[in-house]
Amino acid sequence: MSYELVAGLETHIELSTKTKIFCNCTTEFGGEPNTHCCPICIGLPGTLPKLNKNVVKYAVKAGLATNCSIRNISKMDRKNYVYPDLPKAYQISQFDKPLCENGYISLSTGKNINITRIHIEEDAGKLVHQRGDTYIDYNRGGVPLVEIVTEPDFRSIDEVVEYIEKLRLIMKYIGVSDVKMQEGSLRCDVNISVRKYGDNDLGIRTEIKNMNSLSFIAKAMEYEFNRQIDIIENGGIIEQETRRYNSDLNITESMRKKEDADDYRYFRDPDLVTISIMDEQIQQIKNELPELPSVKLKRFVEDYNLPIQDAELLVKYKKVAEYFEEACIKIENHKVVSNFILSQIFRTLSTETEKEDFNILIPPSYLNELVKLTETKKINSSLARITLEKMLETGKPLSEFITEKHLQGIDENTLKSICEKAVLANEKAVNEYLNGKEKAFGSIIGYIMKETKGNADAALATEIIKTIIS
Amino acid sequence: MITRDDILKIAKLSKLSIEDEEIEALTKDMAEIIQFADTINTAVEDENMEFDNISNIINAFHEDEVIESFDSDLILKNRDGGEDGYFLVKRRSVN
Repeated sequence: MSYELVAGLETHIELSTKTKIFCNCTTEFGGEPNTHCCPICIGLPGTLPKLNKNVVKYAVKAGLATNCSIRNISKMDRKNYVYPDLPKAYQISQFDKPLCENGYISLSTGKNINITRIHIEEDAGKLVHQRGDTYIDYNRGGVPLVEIVTEPDFRSIDEVVEYIEKLRLIMKYIGVSDVKMQEGSLRCDVNISVRKYGDNDLGIRTEIKNMNSLSFIAKAMEYEFNRQIDIIENGGIIEQETRRYNSDLNITESMRKKEDADDYRYFRDPDLVTISIMDEQIQQIKNELPELPSVKLKRFVEDYNLPIQDAELLVKYKKVAEYFEEACIKIENHKVVSNFILSQIFRTLSTETEKEDFNILIPPSYLNELVKLTETKKINSSLARITLEKMLETGKPLSEFITEKHLQGIDENTLKSICEKAVLANEKAVNEYLNGKEKAFGSIIGYIMKETKGNADAALATEIIKTIIS
Repeated sequence: MITRDDILKIAKLSKLSIEDEEIEALTKDMAEIIQFADTINTAVEDENMEFDNISNIINAFHEDEVIESFDSDLILKNRDGGEDGYFLVKRRSVN
């Protein structure tokens, strides 16, 4: 009997506001411990939190970009739990009136993952365990978060990974978070259960907490899926519990059982006043939203006539997509621009971060100029490649490497005599080609390119050689 | 109906230790408090009326501009233990 996976996700994303959610301390990552703190961050009695205007704006942006409806009236609540990373013994969050509700993200298959709610809350401090003691740094305490909760709509690990990638890209595009998973600015809790195919009822779920890497999420889910099936197949019953992923052993392990389930005793935070957002303000934020990745992708395929895989790679990095569009101005064959970016330029950027930052030495106008020369056949593709390489190394414009002589090209008579020379110098290759070895022709052309410093028209040279040797 | 178990649960959540002989009185007191709240609820005619914003103040926001944080010496002034700029989590004493 085969089993189906059922999962839902809670994603915490740190917002990239300059200041914390309830005070004006910086949200900058790192820093010496407890140096980004004030009496509000460390929860001293008598302090009064005041909500950051941009936190509300960013959360509304996140909601609109994920097709949510936005509440006109919202409020903050206290979620009570005792743990040293939370100096007030409660977290200020939102309970029954989250800012955003009922959204969705569409996957490439066309399936929608429904978003139940998006609410705002404060992050907790960081615990450091050393020599058997636990130390606390409250710099992260009070950094604003949005928590994005989905319905249990996922049926495979691939769907979960695609959803997170899409969500991450949307948040990056709308500029509300840097979504650096390695710095913990995107963290996921996965609720997971299994059921036999055809069953309508949901199985008992477990929750795997606080993962900040796509590969860990995939591995943890795979382990947990198989663990639950094993228990059921052996006649056991799944216990509803919270688990954590141990990446060293590649297993999930129990943290706490249902009987110790949290009782957060939510109640309205009396220190924070009602949040009211008028429809006009929501509309204004909507108008300010940039083109979203899914719309851009569709446009790149339709308007630039790109294969979907190429368009996806360009859209994946916002700066690359912008660079591509600028480099495409008044170009007919946009695929040539995309090819230069995805092959030659990407080769110089080895990591994802480098591609995201896209700090290359040449502006898009330089690439545009180069592609224009290939389109008008003033230079051939191999010279273009060599030139781009030099431009990327030095940051200098085309005119530094392409001279008038290059642009004039090689006249047919000169090319003819070079071809004759090439045939004589490559006797072996000529014979091999004549005996049916097509590949041998490449070394004759290679010789010509070397002789002309990449300046010859390869198609014309091929034609001439074939006439000579036939 | 408030039960003995409810009292024990609330005590646990509140981190309070209570003696066995106190439980009965606390159960009675708690039942009375809940009943009082129920009485108030019956007086509410409009279910949608908001009672938690009696000040009628809305949207008190701070601007997103950084103000220098406190000196960490001040932040850490009342800490008990800890080193290198960190607070220390007190270990639970074992009875």
